[in-house]
Amino acid sequence: MSALSTLTDAELVQRCRAGDPEAWNELVERFSRYVYAVCTRGFRLSESDADDVFQEVFARAYTHLGTLRDDSALRPWIAQLTRRLCIDAVSKSKREHPAAEPISDDLTHDLDEIEEAFAVREALATLPDACQDILDRFFAQDQSYRTISAELDLPSGTIASRIARCLGRLRSELEGNSSLDGRSRPAAESGE
Amino acid sequence: MVARSSLESLADAKGIAAQALAIQDRAATLARTDAEAWEEAAEALRAAADPEAVDEGRGGALERALDRAAAIPLELTEIAADVAALASLSGERCEPSLRPDAAAAAALAAGAASAAAHLVEVNLSMRPGDPRLERARATEQAAAECARRALAAIS
Repeated sequence: MSALSTLTDAELVQRCRAGDPEAWNELVERFSRYVYAVCTRGFRLSESDADDVFQEVFARAYTHLGTLRDDSALRPWIAQLTRRLCIDAVSKSKREHPAAEPISDDLTHDLDEIEEAFAVREALATLPDACQDILDRFFAQDQSYRTISAELDLPSGTIASRIARCLGRLRSELEGNSSLDGRSRPAAESGE
Repeated sequence: MVARSSLESLADAKGIAAQALAIQDRAATLARTDAEAWEEAAEALRAAADPEAVDEGRGGALERALDRAAAIPLELTEIAADVAALASLSGERCEPSLRPDAAAAAALAAGAASAAAHLVEVNLSMRPGDPRLERARATEQAAAECARRALAAIS
């Protein structure tokens, strides 16, 4: 984890505006998985189209970062930019290949799921390491209480309670961050 | 169900319910995998017993099939023990009127752990020193202890 990874989005934007190349790398690193997920899982773009959109999103973000009115609204701004470019890519594909698949009716649902997954991931990163570890073991690695107990050297009877408490902290973190929901209106110029 | 119905009185009720749902998903997936593993093991046993069949690689296939047929019930034993632990925890903290439901869930889960541990034992009968046997037995006992605690709380 780099020192810049602990910066808030607003702080990161300020560093980018000040011309810090490391901050720009961190911005791309922070949002690259999100942008790619929207392209491929949300809009079902081909790998080639997704790569094109990915490049274009960060090129425009670089060019137009100065137009962002609210530095903390970086995430919804990038979300909107990505969606718009994905729609352009789908439209172009339909013109070139009229038989191409239409945009899925489940698009909104898929995008909401992606937003939620990334919000959970971000909130998880703010929890103490012990909480991150135990939640990852139980929910991502499907470890049993017995395995968690043995590997972390914790009393087996306390594992379920610990997980429940960590989930409570995660929930509080998510509720505290609800104002950063990517679906909220970005306080930025169009960026184009 | 017990956790969701005890939001007022049960601290971390939502966290307990979330774990129950995760375990439920895991168990459903494993139950399907277990059925497939059983079919593969049965087929390998039939092939091993067929004197007309070509012998090449038959022993290895049987061993692999039985190994998988033991590994999955072991996972099921652990999942059942997790259910028993979660039910026991819920029973300790939930609305008193829901304790019998939690105790019933713990008892059923302990039964499932016992059944799955028995399958591990059967499928490892040709490997008496396999450490998974001991692990299955210990997990079965842990599940039984959770059920005893949950049942004691309502007696």
